[in-house]
Amino acid sequence: MSSKTDKPALRSAAWRISFWATIAFACGTLAVFVFLHQFVSGDIQRRSDAWLSGEVEVLGDVAERTPKNALYGRVVSEVAELAAHEVPNKQASEDTVSDSVFFLQTGAGGTLQLWVGAGDGQAHLQAIRAARILPEQPTDVRVPGFRVPFRVASISIDDGSHIYLGLSERDQLRVLRNLRLRFFLLWLLIVLLGFGIVFLASRRMLSHVRRITEAASRIGHSDLGERVPTTSRNDEVSQLANTLNGMLERIENSMHQLHTITGALAHDLRSPLTAIRGKLEMFLSDTNNEELTEPIVSAIEELDQLTDFLNKSLDVAEARADALRLTRTDIDLSRLLETMVDLYEPSMAEKGLRIQLSDEKGIVVTGDEGLIHRMIANLLDNELKHLGPASNVDISLHCNDDMASLVFEDNGSGFDSEVLEHLFIRRVKGRASTGHGLGLAFVDAVARAHSGTVEVGNRGIGGARITVSLPLANTTVRQQLTTIAQAR
Amino acid sequence: MRLLLVEDETDIQGFLRRSLDEAGYEVEVAPDARTAERLGVESRFDILIVDLGLPDMDGISLILRLRDLGIRAPVLILSARRSVDDRVRGLEQGGDDYLTKPFALAELLARLRNLLKRNSPPQGAATLLSVQDLELDLLRREATRGGHVLQLTQQEFVLLEYLCRNAGRVVTRSMILDQVWGMRIVPDTNVVDVHIYRLRGKVDGAGQQPLIKTMRGVGYVLKDR
Repeated sequence: MSSKTDKPALRSAAWRISFWATIAFACGTLAVFVFLHQFVSGDIQRRSDAWLSGEVEVLGDVAERTPKNALYGRVVSEVAELAAHEVPNKQASEDTVSDSVFFLQTGAGGTLQLWVGAGDGQAHLQAIRAARILPEQPTDVRVPGFRVPFRVASISIDDGSHIYLGLSERDQLRVLRNLRLRFFLLWLLIVLLGFGIVFLASRRMLSHVRRITEAASRIGHSDLGERVPTTSRNDEVSQLANTLNGMLERIENSMHQLHTITGALAHDLRSPLTAIRGKLEMFLSDTNNEELTEPIVSAIEELDQLTDFLNKSLDVAEARADALRLTRTDIDLSRLLETMVDLYEPSMAEKGLRIQLSDEKGIVVTGDEGLIHRMIANLLDNELKHLGPASNVDISLHCNDDMASLVFEDNGSGFDSEVLEHLFIRRVKGRASTGHGLGLAFVDAVARAHSGTVEVGNRGIGGARITVSLPLANTTVRQQLTTIAQAR
Repeated sequence: MRLLLVEDETDIQGFLRRSLDEAGYEVEVAPDARTAERLGVESRFDILIVDLGLPDMDGISLILRLRDLGIRAPVLILSARRSVDDRVRGLEQGGDDYLTKPFALAELLARLRNLLKRNSPPQGAATLLSVQDLELDLLRREATRGGHVLQLTQQEFVLLEYLCRNAGRVVTRSMILDQVWGMRIVPDTNVVDVHIYRLRGKVDGAGQQPLIKTMRGVGYVLKDR
């Protein structure tokens, strides 16, 4: 089978459809996730800002009310530490005040008065001084030595000192990072799932189309009575099938009509021809008068030619309409050619022609025996009629790929260029030709009926070349499928 | 030999009846399938000629019907169709034969003889054929005329054998093509004539009485007396 049927999944349009559908789907879900992320991160920020503002206010309150004695520092630090335990978004394992929160009080002169947190607080103080912190509004402060900025809220107390409460954004960022990771995994899952669903659905749909195509191609080359499969659903695919079936119906009807016409024509002409021929023959056997015999003999010969012409015309007409009915059998083309050459060799020799056959053995085609015989006889008759004395006819038979190639070459005068243009058109013949102008049209018709081709041309060194290609036995179906695959 | 001719065209009926009479057949004519069935049941026939296009029934159906009625005589089918359809091919394999219209009388008669021979018990295959002073040894593939060995090619021997088997009867070009070369073709050229001409050159030597005679417009005959 052709590659088309080898790996149908790889060539399916389902990939393309699923690809674009998935892109659209992925963009959509990504936008939703980005919006959700923005919303959640904004909310976390707001909540931690609210906590900071509340705590710093409480601390300010405590600092203001606590008497400025020896216990002042202790009390304020205790409160600050307590507050630190309520840090939002904190990891559960952290039970001591770590570097994620700091409390800092400066005196009126801006010197460090109180420090609760990791380290000595000088770096933090520097950073706070550098940043302009507005009261009541938490601000980001980057402290050297820390990767993550602090969110710092401040309050001024009446005695001129400032209280700063800083919360590292580390936990907040960690929460957001986790959220993003989950969002990403979820997004990936949804996109893959979506791709799978779209792919399978479109594969299913397209496989209906595929079945219809295959059935249609089968019908096109064999039995017109068949129909493509239909489904009970009334979707586009079943409409396609129904339309195709309607078309087949009409084609079958016109084909039937053609057969009826050609059949009737053949019958209506043959019966009188039979009667005339019979009567002439009877008369011929009754008479011994030479003068009477001669015209009757030529009348019989002309009748036979008329019959042959009738047969060929109808064959050509039916083949043109792809309506030629074939009774297929396996034909050994090599043997047939040897017999044919054997049959024609004496006549050729009589005319001074030399015929030579070079063939590969055992080339078998599937076809209508009668038509193939007549086609080859036609080609040989052609050579015999049109070649001048002392010409050579070279016949070769070989196969390439899945076609049998039959080549007739001669070193005669070749085809006229004007004839070459319309060679297969019925009734075209060279000025010097004596046939009824059907010969090559018939050869072409038979080749076409067997899914083959005929090429006619002149050889560069003079003379004509006719190449008939016929599909080898058992490859006819493959040939058809490839043709369809190429046509797509 | 009793022969039933089933044919509706009166013109064809006429000349067929006459020439079959002359060939020694006792001919009954049925113009349609119904008459053919009645005649077939009433009396026994040795052979039938059935035209495919009958007014009241398709010829093949008639043949099958006659077979069902127990009529075993071989049938020569006359067809006006160009191509032989599968059902005719089936009958051909079953021992019947077909001929497309128009046909040569000689061919019709030859096919009838073949059918009758095929359906009669074999009489032991002869290995030697002789016509006048011509002798063919089928085992040694050797032909002699008046004691002299003829130098024949394989193909020429087969052709001569076919003529000998039909000695005294006319064979047409298409019969020769069919029987000797196995082809049902109608060449526009004189291919068969040249073969016969060459064969005649070898068989009918100078001073000998010519054996192979040309029947113009019909075919050839190997004279047996």
